[in-house]
Amino acid sequence: MSQYASLLIALPLFGAFFIPILKRISKSAVMPFLVLVTLIQTGIAAWVFNEVYITGKPIIIMAGGFRPPIGINLYIGHFAALFVLVIAVTSLLMTIFSFKAVSVEPKDKYAMLFLLLMLGATGMISTGDIFNLFVFMEITAISAYALIAYNKTGEASEAALKYIVLGGIGSSFFLVGVALIYGSLGTLNMAHIAQLAHLVNPTVAKAGLALLIFGLAVEAEQFPLNAWAPDAYQEAPHPVTAMFSAFVVKASLYAMGRVIYILSAVEGWSSILRLLIILGTLTVIIGEMSALRQNNVKRMFAYSSIAQVGLIAVGLALGTESGVSASVFHMFNHAIVKALMFLAVGYVAVELGGTEINKFEGLGKRMPVTAFAITVGAISIIGIPLFNIFWSKMQLILAALNAQYTWMVALILGASLVEATYYIRLIHTIWFKGEGEKVKESSVLALVMLLLVALIIVIGIYPEPFWNVMQKAGSDIFNVAQYIKNVPLMGVSP
Amino acid sequence: MNPYYFASIALILIGLYAILAKRNVLKMLVGLSIMETGVNLLLISVGYVSGRSAPILSEGITPDRAVDPIPQALVLTAIVIGVATTAMALSVVINLYEKYKTLNVEEIRRLRG
Amino acid sequence: MVKRIFAIVFILIIGFWMAKALDQVPFGQDRMLVGKYYLEHVKEETGAVNAVTAVVVNYRGFDTLGEVTVLFIASTGVAALLWRKKRKRTAKTEGSVVLTTGARLLLPFIMLFGVYIFIHGHLTPGGGFPGGATIATAFLFLYLAFTVYEVDHKIFEPLEGLAGVGYVTVGLIGLAIGGYFLFDWIWQTWGIGKENIGRLLSAGFIPIIYTLIGIKVGTELTGIVDNMIKEPEEGGQ
Repeated sequence: MSQYASLLIALPLFGAFFIPILKRISKSAVMPFLVLVTLIQTGIAAWVFNEVYITGKPIIIMAGGFRPPIGINLYIGHFAALFVLVIAVTSLLMTIFSFKAVSVEPKDKYAMLFLLLMLGATGMISTGDIFNLFVFMEITAISAYALIAYNKTGEASEAALKYIVLGGIGSSFFLVGVALIYGSLGTLNMAHIAQLAHLVNPTVAKAGLALLIFGLAVEAEQFPLNAWAPDAYQEAPHPVTAMFSAFVVKASLYAMGRVIYILSAVEGWSSILRLLIILGTLTVIIGEMSALRQNNVKRMFAYSSIAQVGLIAVGLALGTESGVSASVFHMFNHAIVKALMFLAVGYVAVELGGTEINKFEGLGKRMPVTAFAITVGAISIIGIPLFNIFWSKMQLILAALNAQYTWMVALILGASLVEATYYIRLIHTIWFKGEGEKVKESSVLALVMLLLVALIIVIGIYPEPFWNVMQKAGSDIFNVAQYIKNVPLMGVSP
Repeated sequence: MNPYYFASIALILIGLYAILAKRNVLKMLVGLSIMETGVNLLLISVGYVSGRSAPILSEGITPDRAVDPIPQALVLTAIVIGVATTAMALSVVINLYEKYKTLNVEEIRRLRG
Repeated sequence: MVKRIFAIVFILIIGFWMAKALDQVPFGQDRMLVGKYYLEHVKEETGAVNAVTAVVVNYRGFDTLGEVTVLFIASTGVAALLWRKKRKRTAKTEGSVVLTTGARLLLPFIMLFGVYIFIHGHLTPGGGFPGGATIATAFLFLYLAFTVYEVDHKIFEPLEGLAGVGYVTVGLIGLAIGGYFLFDWIWQTWGIGKENIGRLLSAGFIPIIYTLIGIKVGTELTGIVDNMIKEPEEGGQ
């Protein structure tokens, strides 16, 4: 029965391949079909989530019936089950938003690329094979290239080109890392690599791991390789931006965490952690500083998103279980908040024709629900108590203190302070500046936004049940011994 | 240093140099392709075993006389992915040229800050 | 100038680290682990003689499904980015006599060769991807030879989708019959072709999947060529 979880991969693929046929039958059926597919995907994801959290055992999908490491396996553990659900729900909400936000033709192609972006992130999160991770990463990346350039303006093409060049370098680095690890171990399965990690030559492992991290850093928006991100966020169609921030980045961050921890038995491993901490810290600082001087709200949110992603990377690199759990909590909260905020900003852009800060003057009177959503999101990101991100920032601080990184407390608090500066400026513009005619807001989108707002507040008030889930998900990444035990490896040994 | 490893690293570095130093977008994409070729060569040479033949088990090739099949399968995938990336990049460049009328990266800079 | 010096220093550092790490991965030694298992069991488990094919289609089926998807994204993405209301071919000069005659004459043979490559994927080097690419060259040939030639998108796009749907369906039938996605039910459950190893009618679903991939890759690459060759008409933005 549990093998039916492979529908998580099969369904979006089937949907995407079916669209060209559907288009011949009826062109107007494409977008409703997209909603249907994401809805079913959400249903399957919910079933998988329920299954994994009730039995407490991960679902191992073996493609072709070959046991790992012979065949590729998908590993849907506590983390993957949670995030597959996040991906499916976010995609569902964004398909609804796409009706309003995407007017550029050809929409059938948009629908296919949209489904495949969702598929790529789902695959990245659930795969248990390091080369398969590369394949899913490329699915995500290439559909992202196409979606960023989808509006066919000069700026969109420019942003896509930047991403393609960096992504190409990143994927080459990643493959060199795979070649090094394969060359010294003779296997590609993650659990098998983890099992044999103590045998690998430390120089090869460290160089390989560093290359893998650099390869993933492009998608995970870590400092030297994230130059594409603000441009792409600004120019991509609005639902796609929300998807990037909500789960594409998260999938890469998870992959980063996974490859780091499966090689934790390698000698001199902590130097790689330090590398990632440096990258993450620089990402936070540069992201926040750049956000401060933006006049385009969407671009400002993009930089803010990059800074949060830096915090998540730092948490993953602390090397403690609580650090990883806090990171996962922050990923989850950030996914909700950024999905909400990019949705709201995108909606403003659709209605008022742009995302420059002057368009937001008087928004509180013109589009009250949207303005309310942005405000709640902003307050939450700053880290005000009773909103969800407060708890994950708090857990990050506690984890940093536990891991003896006292300066990181200053980093997190400093980042929050900078965030407060530019978000309060935005809130001030929205509510206390300018006037304007009231715009009729779409009730469906208002409902979606209020749903997300409610979720933010519920997590803010009752964090414990969510924190329990996050701890399980975090230990799924951190606890490598358990990971090896969970994957039914067959006895191929040197 | 083994000549195959040397050649693949050299290709990767040449490609990287083209990406970093060239101003013409098409030349950068050529650099990207060269880099991918280098990576593919590296993967193949990692799987090579001296004195053995291709892993097609017919006409007297027994399992102990064939090289590792996995890197070859990986390269097959990697080549296709490289093709896909190049195709996407080229169509982005076509759009870019239509809008900016230039292929010089230093003039393609409307997004900044 | 500064940019170049920076680039050279940067690549030298990277090259040094790669070389240093690769130095620990001795060349030409037998370090196979999973690979050895494949070589020893490939015939009984999949029926394919070509171990690479078996790895690609059976053991690492998800990779291949992903690979097909990547190419699908590329063709979709190219079509999406180059989409304009009206586009047409702008080539002025017809191909020379040699080219046009050659195109007419060779077309069926190129197609046949492409088909040969993909249905013999489990026996000889090749398979769906090279076979599909060969078929696409036949169409490229037509584009080069004739200024007015275009493929019919009404047929090609649904065909591409149909091949993809077919691949996923084969995988889902495996899920229904054998309990695993992409399970080779033809070989492992039905046992068709067990006495035929090394001949055409063997290797379970590999020829079926490779045929689907061949059709898909052929139509996709042709679509990419078609999209890149056409230019927007005046005012057809």
